[in-house]
Amino acid sequence: MSAYLNTRVSLYAERLWQAENFDALLRAPDAEIASLLDERGLPQLAAGFHSQDLLSLEQRIIAQTLDETRVLIRPLTGEARNFLIYWTARFEVSNVKTLLRGKMTGERPAALLSHLTPMGSFGRLDNQDLAHAEDVGELLRRLEAGPYASIVRHVRRAFELSHDPFSLDASLDRGYYEGVVKRAQPLEKCAGPGFRTLMAHLIDRINLLWLLRYRFNYNLPPAQVYFLLVGSNYSLTGVRLRELAAMGSLEAVLAALPQDWHDRLASAPDIPSVFSIMERTAAEHALKVMRSNAPAISRAFAYMLLRERDLRAVRALLRGRHLGLPGADIRFALQRMPLEVM
Amino acid sequence: MLRAEPLLKIQLLILASEAPDAALELARFGVFNPTSGSPDGLGESPAEAYREAWLDAESRLSKLLEQCGNSSTLVVPADAAAPSLADLQELNVWLKEVWSACLACHEGEERIADESKHLDSLEETLSKLERLNVDLAHLLRQDSLLSVNIGSLPANGLKRVSEALSMTGTLVTQFDHVGDQVFAVIAGPRGRQEEVRGLLAQAGWRELPVPEELRTHPQAARSWLEAERIRISQLSGAECDVMGALRENFAPRLNEARLRVALARPLAEAALAGVRGKGGLAALAGWIPRRQLNALRATLETRFHGRYWMEARQPDPHEAADVPSLVRYPGWLKPFVPLVKSYGVPRYGEFDPALPFAFTYLLLFGAMFGDVGHGGIILLLSILFARKLGRFSWVGASAGVVSMLFGMLYGSIFGYEDIIQPVWLSPLHNPVYVLSVAVAFGVAFIVFTLLVNARNKWVAGHRAEAVFDSTGLAGLIFYLGAVGGLASVAGAADVAQPAWMLAIFGIVIVAGFKWYEAKAGLGERILVTAIETLETGINLFSNTLSFMRVAAFSLNHVALALAIFTLAAGLSVAGHWFTIALGNVVIIVLEGGIVAIQALRLMYYEGFSRFFSGDGIEFVPLRLETERSKV
Repeated sequence: MSAYLNTRVSLYAERLWQAENFDALLRAPDAEIASLLDERGLPQLAAGFHSQDLLSLEQRIIAQTLDETRVLIRPLTGEARNFLIYWTARFEVSNVKTLLRGKMTGERPAALLSHLTPMGSFGRLDNQDLAHAEDVGELLRRLEAGPYASIVRHVRRAFELSHDPFSLDASLDRGYYEGVVKRAQPLEKCAGPGFRTLMAHLIDRINLLWLLRYRFNYNLPPAQVYFLLVGSNYSLTGVRLRELAAMGSLEAVLAALPQDWHDRLASAPDIPSVFSIMERTAAEHALKVMRSNAPAISRAFAYMLLRERDLRAVRALLRGRHLGLPGADIRFALQRMPLEVM
Repeated sequence: MLRAEPLLKIQLLILASEAPDAALELARFGVFNPTSGSPDGLGESPAEAYREAWLDAESRLSKLLEQCGNSSTLVVPADAAAPSLADLQELNVWLKEVWSACLACHEGEERIADESKHLDSLEETLSKLERLNVDLAHLLRQDSLLSVNIGSLPANGLKRVSEALSMTGTLVTQFDHVGDQVFAVIAGPRGRQEEVRGLLAQAGWRELPVPEELRTHPQAARSWLEAERIRISQLSGAECDVMGALRENFAPRLNEARLRVALARPLAEAALAGVRGKGGLAALAGWIPRRQLNALRATLETRFHGRYWMEARQPDPHEAADVPSLVRYPGWLKPFVPLVKSYGVPRYGEFDPALPFAFTYLLLFGAMFGDVGHGGIILLLSILFARKLGRFSWVGASAGVVSMLFGMLYGSIFGYEDIIQPVWLSPLHNPVYVLSVAVAFGVAFIVFTLLVNARNKWVAGHRAEAVFDSTGLAGLIFYLGAVGGLASVAGAADVAQPAWMLAIFGIVIVAGFKWYEAKAGLGERILVTAIETLETGINLFSNTLSFMRVAAFSLNHVALALAIFTLAAGLSVAGHWFTIALGNVVIIVLEGGIVAIQALRLMYYEGFSRFFSGDGIEFVPLRLETERSKV
């Protein structure tokens, strides 16, 4: 089965986008965009390119990701399969957030349903039923009786006390990523160091970004910031995160990072730059794992991370085009440079 | 029975205000399958708001009925009219009010249950506090420097909360663990209490309301707890009263709401397919059986007295894939239909394989599992468990009867071959003959499937494929020629030369068609043609040989019985009969199951896959809720 998955990943790897593909997409006339997207293995985006609806673009990108995941999990069983399936659950957690926000603003069920991402066979929620909940309280109770009970249970208690939409979102995100870490743990033992490093890059990046945002954009107190981060044991351990959360400025946080991180991030002037550098580093590592002879699940996960990075960039580019932005601005927004294998 | 009923596409134009009644009338009519597509220029969706209102109402109503436990049969009067959009919206407002009241009661009950559970934990906890002999008054005293909280939080969050609180100089000490909650004392500098409070709110912290009495006299906790329990049970009683009153007050109107929601369902469902309109007009499109056209006109005329316009037309060839398929089966064939539909629904105009499936499946099963005794047991079990198996008991009973018939042909009863004389032959003594018959049956079956496929393609307008493709007439010519040629080689016939010429003629046509169909460069075209032509021959050959398993299983049946007899022969009388009985059970359960699957497999892969695309659309008419529940 791993031979199948390895072959499949190798075939899919050829679909990853290079800098010249983005340039070509940027320069191509509208009439050629669909065929360019199709050529680069994005039939879902090609099919709906002429639609001006940005939400639908998001939905098509997710549909593309789900299509590929469906193929990749076909030969997998047990923990590896569970992990990749759970990896797609973040789209459904995002649907949960949309439902919650919709209920807070009293949106009509039909409108609310149109904003949800169709999950196809990965969907575990009854969206019709949830969209027709009368209010947030009823919605949370219904969610608590469903597959995301473990994530939602404590969110409801917190929401009842604070009625704060931010705490809802933050708790849901944290709950989801803690689920990812939990499902990755058994795989880290058998899928080799490459897989653990992929996870480390992912979770450390999320933790550092959330830490910076919560601390310096939302001005939350250090203890609360730490509480909202994902519990993990990668490069940024709990002790290190507590130290970082207690720092008073972005520069101080960056200076207190482990040496190799500090070397890369010292010049970052703001949080988006930190994200960009860290994402690039993670992508370089993922590329290395994907091109190596690591176990199939590691290569598949690396491919998925890289593919989603590509899809984000394609989305940004297409949005830029829809909005009629100049090519130079779109290029700047992409901030994408060729990856170098470490 | 062998193909779907001819359908007509109906375009019905009516006043938008009468659309709910029109849809209701169509639902009562019972054979209108709504679909998209309406006359040009109708750019609005007049039923969209209606559908939304209905969905809201239906959702609230079903939640209310779930709460109230109302499951009485709904009677829809024959002359009842569908509610208008305004009626539905008004109903929705009322349902929202009722549901909100119910929800408040329901949540109140849940809160009370939660409180009660919490009291249980508290009681347990307080008894531990008593034993600790802690001076709570001292502990909880409002100090200017120290802030102390006692409470509970989710057990899996304790470590994280402790770590986070350590950043504020606050200590967390767990002193009890009940269920998924831990009870803890939190103490830290008063100056950072706000910070701590924010964090605790996020962590699901629940403060323990320790009464004043407890702070000074721990023993007083018992009476305080007792008082709390009484208060909560009173609250619970009050909530129950409110709920009961709600049920009583709302029950009559709730029944009326059920009726209105049921009457509104047809238009709401039709809107899903797409009801278009403009101004005061609404257009409903759908499919009805051709023979029902006059009846539909009469129904509409009676109800709307000419206030409608209806057009009926044959389906266009290009929309064949969108036309639903309505096949009427006689009662005895219906139990076999789910087995066909588990493969797929026949397209409109396609040959429906249910009838040949039923016959061939039973024939194959009987041929592979021919035994009077085993067939009799299957028949008996199917009758005994008829209620549990439902319609499938008929499939089981038929399979049992056919197995018995083949048992008589083979002279086999519970594996014994010497009790009754075979009417035809014993497979074990004539294996080559049985294999030849199985292959001959396979040839006939494949010829049948190729003919059906050619017919299906022809009807669907793919005439070139029907004639020239490998699964069409050219493939059939090749196959018949090759079979004749091979039979001549085996000495079963003497038609070698004309047969091989026929086979070559057929395969050349197939190759020519593949060449024509392959739209690629020269090299790829040669490769595709060569491979696909070769595949034609290999497939037909291997599919034919697949039928040898029919003979193999009939031999296997006898061989398995012989193995059991051999085992039993070496045992005492009791052991002998026990082994025979157990062996027969194994044969019926294990071999019977395998044969049932093999017969199904032969039907699906050697039969259906050749002529049955299975991607048709089932005919789903608009129906009233009560009628649907009866089906």
